[in-house]
Amino acid sequence: MIAFRDVLIFAGLAALAAAVIASLFPVGEGASPVPACSDCAFKLTGGYWIRQYGNYAALYLDTREVVRYGWAYVDGRPLSIGENATCSPAMYLWVINGIAYVSCDGSPPRFGRDVLGPKLPFVDVRISVDWRSCRRTIEFDADLTERYGVSVEVYDEEGRLVVSSAGTIPGSVSFSIPMAGVYRMHIYAPPLLDEWYTLIAQVRILDLLRAKVFTSDSMQDLRSFASLKIFDLTNFWKKGYTGVTVHVNSAGASFTLSAPADAFADFLLAWEDCHNCDPADGALYVDEVWRLTFTQTNIVLTHIYSGGDFWHEVYVTSLPYGRVLIWAWNKEGPKLNSYTVPWFTTTVWIESQDSTMNARATFVKEC
Amino acid sequence: MWSLAYGLIALAVVAFVVLYAAAHAPNFTTVNLADQPYGAKKWIAEYLPSFPKVDATSRFRVFVNVVRVARANATAYDYGTRQCTTFPVYLPVGYRLERAGENVIYQIYLNVTRCRYTALPRGEPAVLYEIELKHSLDQLPWLEVYAAVPHNLTQYYSWLHSYYTAWRRPPAVGLTPRVGADEAFMELVKAEHVLVYNATSDTAKLYVAAPAAALYVLLVDYPLKLPLTCPEQIASASSESQRSDTPVIGPPSPR
Repeated sequence: MIAFRDVLIFAGLAALAAAVIASLFPVGEGASPVPACSDCAFKLTGGYWIRQYGNYAALYLDTREVVRYGWAYVDGRPLSIGENATCSPAMYLWVINGIAYVSCDGSPPRFGRDVLGPKLPFVDVRISVDWRSCRRTIEFDADLTERYGVSVEVYDEEGRLVVSSAGTIPGSVSFSIPMAGVYRMHIYAPPLLDEWYTLIAQVRILDLLRAKVFTSDSMQDLRSFASLKIFDLTNFWKKGYTGVTVHVNSAGASFTLSAPADAFADFLLAWEDCHNCDPADGALYVDEVWRLTFTQTNIVLTHIYSGGDFWHEVYVTSLPYGRVLIWAWNKEGPKLNSYTVPWFTTTVWIESQDSTMNARATFVKEC
Repeated sequence: MWSLAYGLIALAVVAFVVLYAAAHAPNFTTVNLADQPYGAKKWIAEYLPSFPKVDATSRFRVFVNVVRVARANATAYDYGTRQCTTFPVYLPVGYRLERAGENVIYQIYLNVTRCRYTALPRGEPAVLYEIELKHSLDQLPWLEVYAAVPHNLTQYYSWLHSYYTAWRRPPAVGLTPRVGADEAFMELVKAEHVLVYNATSDTAKLYVAAPAAALYVLLVDYPLKLPLTCPEQIASASSESQRSDTPVIGPPSPR
């Protein structure tokens, strides 16, 4: 029978033998030699340390030199001469082209300098426009784990801040351009984006028939080629005037308009109905006077004045009706003092008994 | 009973030796350093056509794995409507690419800074590209440069136009749908090049002299192939008036 005393003796002897053998180990041959290789990786457990000399780096197991390498790097930094490095409990050692790279946490050494600088995830910027309301939506698309703030600022021709809005990346920012013009937009989200864009919001007048566009007074007699004078007043309102007087002929006829509220663009239309009725200094271009205002979403035509002996007709294109007669003078027909086109483009016709004076113009809001 | 005791002692000794040796033996694996840059370049080459294309330099400065492009208009013959049509294309002019292997960071930065017409000493017209080159590994002995000369530019653009009609996105010259897909339309000729290292900065300059008719130059860091174009030259060559000094390149004939 094995008594408890015997077990105690056996265990004691076993521990003694183990201690004797263990104490012999590091000073002897070691577990196995570190192979000399040019491209390989090791995990070394035990009392390994590395020391840099002038022309080589030596790996030691306690006091015994195990192997030599060209130079030693620890966590990406080369050791200086005479410097030691060790890791506990384990040392990870990469040998590449005879150079030793040591790391204590097992992260592999990386070769290659960083030549690119900042490396941020890609942000896609897409700008879409709704022409009717001139509303721009800027979508920021990115594969990001956190959200970055982005500010979008829009400046007009004179550098005044018109719109300032904030959003996030990923996300979107939208704003409306309040008035026709050329704008500079700054998208700023450091460090991801710092960009300037040019935005153009305008009303294009095209398809002109016997019509001419002015940005200031025009008092000349232009009946030989133009019966319709279109005065663009947008810039006066943008400059902050509260009222503008437009002279349309040399006889001194003028129309005073006050600043519209919330207009995108504003025009005065002055039309002459007869080719040879009046002298050059007579009452020209006052037979039909209309105001055409682009609001944020609609186009509004307002009647200002009608005169002359001939009959006139004013037509506009409007959704969903097509060409609509809105005004008749000296004639049976509708007399709408104000007409709203719920769209971003319209064509205006002004016709009379003297068909050589029929005029036409198409207005398109372009954002 | 005593034999059992000796057995236990022997077992303890053997167990200790085995455990100690297992714990202290160097764990040995080989590192295949040559495969890692190859794998990184192969990965970049595979995804290159789908990398984002940016035309704002501010984005080219901070984003990685992007292609800097210039937007241009190309003229193609549309077989559907039987007339010439103009469509937008992207011209690649720079790259910021990165891929990390286990031990290797592969980065390459290319940017066409200047390109213009020039004459070679022999008198041939050529386009001289000045390309900024930054590389994370100072090892580009195998850098090769080819010039892609189209057999028929309109045919090539008509082929690109089919991608434009299918995708509704501007295709990129040399990159759509992948690098090398246009080999039927192009002849690759070796382009003369010289790499100028700068002692004070990381940026080396690569000068390439390509034939004047070349649509793009192809930089090969095998297996990665990067097409680079000269937007100014393409704009002048593909405008309405045919350039007078651009030779008309016929189909390749055996010489």
